[in-house]
Amino acid sequence: MAKAEYTVLGTSTPRMGGVERVIGAGIYGIDLELKGELHGGILRSQYAHAKIVSIDTSEAKKLPGVHAVVTAADAPDVRYGRTYIDRYMLAKNKVRYMGDPVAAVAADSPAIVKQALKKIKVAYEPLPVVIDQEEAMKPEAPTLHDDMPLPKNLPEGVKVKNVCSYTAVHVGDPEKAMAEADLVVDEVYETKMIHPQYLEPRIAAAQVEPDGRITVWANAQAPFGVRTDVARLLGIPLNKVRVLATELGGGFGGKASGITSGAAIEPICALLAVKAKRPVMIVLDKAEETISTTIRSGAKMYIKTGVKKDGTIVARTGKVVYDAGAYSGFGAMAGARCTNMLGGWYLMPNCHIDGYVVYTNKQVCGPVRGPGGPQAAFAVESHMDSIAAKLNMDPVEFRLKNTPKAGDKIVGVPKLRDVSLGETIKTAAEKIGYKQVGAQFIAPALGKNQGIGIATGSWIESAGPGGGAVVKVNEDGSVTVHIGKIDMGTAPRFGIPLIAAEELGVPVKDITVVNVDTDASPWDAGTVGSRAIIVSGTATRLAAIDARNQLFKMAASRLEASPDDLEIKDRQIRVKGTPSKSVPLATIATAAHNIIGEVIGRGYCDNQAMMAEEKAHGNSPPFTAHACIVEVDTNTGNVKILKYVAVHDVGFPIHPVAVEGQIEGATAMSIGQALCEQVVFDKDGRTMNPSFVDYLMPTINMMPRIETTLVHGYAGAGPYGAKGAGEIACVPPMAAIANAIYNATGVRIRTLPLSPENVLRGLKEAGKA
Amino acid sequence: MNLTINTTINGKAVSAGAEASTSLLEFLRDTLSFKGTKLCCNTGECGACTIIYNGKPINSCVTMAADAIGADIITIEGLADGDKLHPVQQAFIDTGAVQCGYCTPGYIMSVKALFDRTKKPTAEDIEEAVSGNICRCTGYTKIVDAIQLAAQKL
Amino acid sequence: MDYFEPKTVSEALSLLAKHGAEAKIIAGGTDVMVDIKYKEEPGCLVNIKKIPGLDGIRENGASLRIGALATIRDVETSAVVRDRLPVLWESSHQFASLQIRNTATIGGNICRASPSGETLTPLLVLEAKGKLAFADGERTEPFTAFFQGPGKCSVGSKGLLTEIEVPYPAAGSRGVYLKHAVRGAMDIAMVGVAVLITPDASKNSLQDVRIGLGAVAPTPLRATKTEALLRGKPLSGALLKEAAAMAAAESSPISDQRSSAEYRRWIVEALTRRGLEQTWKAATGKEVV
Repeated sequence: MAKAEYTVLGTSTPRMGGVERVIGAGIYGIDLELKGELHGGILRSQYAHAKIVSIDTSEAKKLPGVHAVVTAADAPDVRYGRTYIDRYMLAKNKVRYMGDPVAAVAADSPAIVKQALKKIKVAYEPLPVVIDQEEAMKPEAPTLHDDMPLPKNLPEGVKVKNVCSYTAVHVGDPEKAMAEADLVVDEVYETKMIHPQYLEPRIAAAQVEPDGRITVWANAQAPFGVRTDVARLLGIPLNKVRVLATELGGGFGGKASGITSGAAIEPICALLAVKAKRPVMIVLDKAEETISTTIRSGAKMYIKTGVKKDGTIVARTGKVVYDAGAYSGFGAMAGARCTNMLGGWYLMPNCHIDGYVVYTNKQVCGPVRGPGGPQAAFAVESHMDSIAAKLNMDPVEFRLKNTPKAGDKIVGVPKLRDVSLGETIKTAAEKIGYKQVGAQFIAPALGKNQGIGIATGSWIESAGPGGGAVVKVNEDGSVTVHIGKIDMGTAPRFGIPLIAAEELGVPVKDITVVNVDTDASPWDAGTVGSRAIIVSGTATRLAAIDARNQLFKMAASRLEASPDDLEIKDRQIRVKGTPSKSVPLATIATAAHNIIGEVIGRGYCDNQAMMAEEKAHGNSPPFTAHACIVEVDTNTGNVKILKYVAVHDVGFPIHPVAVEGQIEGATAMSIGQALCEQVVFDKDGRTMNPSFVDYLMPTINMMPRIETTLVHGYAGAGPYGAKGAGEIACVPPMAAIANAIYNATGVRIRTLPLSPENVLRGLKEAGKA
Repeated sequence: MNLTINTTINGKAVSAGAEASTSLLEFLRDTLSFKGTKLCCNTGECGACTIIYNGKPINSCVTMAADAIGADIITIEGLADGDKLHPVQQAFIDTGAVQCGYCTPGYIMSVKALFDRTKKPTAEDIEEAVSGNICRCTGYTKIVDAIQLAAQKL
Repeated sequence: MDYFEPKTVSEALSLLAKHGAEAKIIAGGTDVMVDIKYKEEPGCLVNIKKIPGLDGIRENGASLRIGALATIRDVETSAVVRDRLPVLWESSHQFASLQIRNTATIGGNICRASPSGETLTPLLVLEAKGKLAFADGERTEPFTAFFQGPGKCSVGSKGLLTEIEVPYPAAGSRGVYLKHAVRGAMDIAMVGVAVLITPDASKNSLQDVRIGLGAVAPTPLRATKTEALLRGKPLSGALLKEAAAMAAAESSPISDQRSSAEYRRWIVEALTRRGLEQTWKAATGKEVV
């Protein structure tokens, strides 16, 4: 809904960069070609856990056409990591998952690379493998990192191993409250690993410039993080590294290396370029991606809730055992978020959750689309229905009963400024077919083996690193915007141009948002965390206002008016209320050449100020409710989604179609995790389904139309009251579908995926098939 | 052994060499620099490399370059008429069906081929036409909108 | 890697004879190209697609002759297939994706001899035969004797499948192909079941019944014991239950990343039951009681 006071905000102006994409202009990382480039490839461990006894690269080096072969011995003895510095770019002494990079080659052709990789002889001494994170915590489990201490904040007396991070959430007196509850429901839920499976393979390219600087091209979500990794791991200062972001064919957190320090290929490529003295480009094969890059981890979640007879929740206790994979990666952050979210986003006066993030011999946890949230929500929102069933309450009513209101607190948010949860629940219920009669919600009549399910979600996107924007007004009045976030179908080229156009009174087509060049763009943590609109949107708005103020200052004397009385409309700077008194924007921007040179507006998203604001007045996080109707084939276990509604509060939708697109895509990813997606490992830690032949993402034929509804009036922390929209829709779908299956069959599936096999097994165990 | 591939791409005669093991996708992208056709799964399971081959949509990643000999091939680069986009291309932009855009060229080729078969596709026709094209960004809703919009415009 | 484009069957056969196990036949290429990229490159590639006359679909008296080079899409869009061989139509319609159907050939699908090959169980229940060309002459072999193991079939490395002869089922018969997969599109069958039944003249009993099972044994197979159990009998509820369980027992699936063996047996049972029920109803107009 466009607010009347805005010209372009709230409209769905076609995205910047759309034409290049539909005509197939080669713009992605994979389309890059460097003059004289060599092809790079990575030798990956064939053991999930082993000591490296020796690496012999001599035969590979002798192969004609090979220009460089590198191992850990060729790089500085430096490790990297986010929470813990626990990883080498090329494995040293030990490999910890099947896919761990061990060596790399640069050669004239992909075929020679392949041959050379085969000629590298690595002697391994296999070690016991641990795949399951709970097994990894036991005393008899193999130790993955000998030199990584257990977290200092572990509670006294807890005997665990391989734990890389521990979080405790504690509110009130859960023990006492639980004892006083009328009903206690105690369950265990589990989610499995999925891969983000962005369609464009990851690439890295690097070349050493004549002045010795290194240029790196990456289809990375966090180019500045890539710069940090390359500089650190090659032992060079940041000003000697320039990272140029290419366009991205999807990311979903999986291409956020630098953020995750999980599977960085850019430093390896840079090392090859240094050694080969030639440009080198690495393109990962899809199957190689599936086994080696960062993923959405599995979590095992114990959840116990006490309620009163009237449906009031009084206490929750629980435990999260979160899989970090072989290195800490993003595990500590994601695991902590999962632990917090297991406390739910309803009124929860008493709560205690322990969260353990555990090393296993699997690939590394990344910040994939709502890290920790979808996992927690599968448990929390399935559990809510289990409780409602035991209370003999409708799931909608039970949720509304425990929904917070403004001024209340929830786990992880000390004070709520605004709460859209209730409205999203009621709207989703109505859209899926519930009838409200008084306080009662009556579910629609459904056919045989059909069921209805609802689940809610929340997300925190207002906290995180800051970021800046530079808005330059060119002498013809067109505008160039520099931000540190890349476009992967997200805000940078949907909503951001609208913000600049709105504040500078020019058409959207006059705005260009340039891709990230770490030599020129403002530093940024990357396009992650649903934060593009919050960080870059806020910064762009303030930068555009700064530029506008500079223009007004210069125009004021010419228009014989105070700068405060000016406005820009249709490329004209004019006196408010006297449109005839005007001067073209281009005239003033040109005049600037003789005054300040160029109009350069600067703006920042000040995270500290945002946090202070939230502390003072409370937080208004986004909330959502999804509802669906499914049909279960009780002979085969197949689940078909007949109808799906997604109701979201995104504050003010700056670009509604972009917001809907984010919601629909995130929903689809979690529908995939619900019904069919899972990275399957054998006991040795080998991925059994690395290629798209067996790794099944949703195709159009199995997807329902996602009917998106936005609720309005709950301003968020972003510009104009916007909230992030990229991740939250991943939160509810798994539970919504599980709840609908339960409603259809009476069978509660507590381990993902809700695959035909798991559903039929559940039906058979319940004597229903 | 080097084969000489004489073929027609987007209406123009093209001749270039290829190995027998070269896929049509590699031939298009790496030899001829038609970078609009995208590489993804490389096993015929995602549709990103879809082109129109003798009037039919196929996965170029699992087709031999040698099969291009004497064939008539249309790639994404061949759809627009100068600066004027094909209605399917325009519809993808107008409906917000282009997020990251990586599946888009393959998608558009599948949809173009659909409209070559029928101007009034049913929901089943649409599903059949693009079930071999994975999109990870949109959840498909806006893509269906784009196809329906293009159907109105064609 | 050497590459040949024989123009005749005999030229192809002599290339196969000359290069032996080094040679790999390629037609549509949807499987072979993946092997070349991710497994071993063969010594030489024999592209048979340029051999004229091997791609037609033609009626020939009581049977349909399908050239080995006919694409799955050719089969799917053939009016005769749709009309007279609906079991085969259903399997070709559910085959991979439209893009793959436009390229993959029926001959390739057969000679690949994958236990889950989509067209195989329909061809088994239709009692189709393959025309095989060898250096020493041609022979026609029923597909019930053709498959020897995953990737292994009678055609071996020296022969060529040139044509598939599919007899039209008896008047009054009804068939169905049921594919079980998670996603449906671009998805390998976890289990495929083809059922073809012919009722007696009074539509009271099963004069003939054929059940093909896919992806549940080293080769696609006919559930012959189950067929024998059913033949000549009216399809009662009790018999249906017994037959479905017997079909599950006749299968010998493995556990893999797609599903467990146990689950595959459950599905064989469920789909055999469903296939028999559906075809019985369609052929006789009666419910199973």
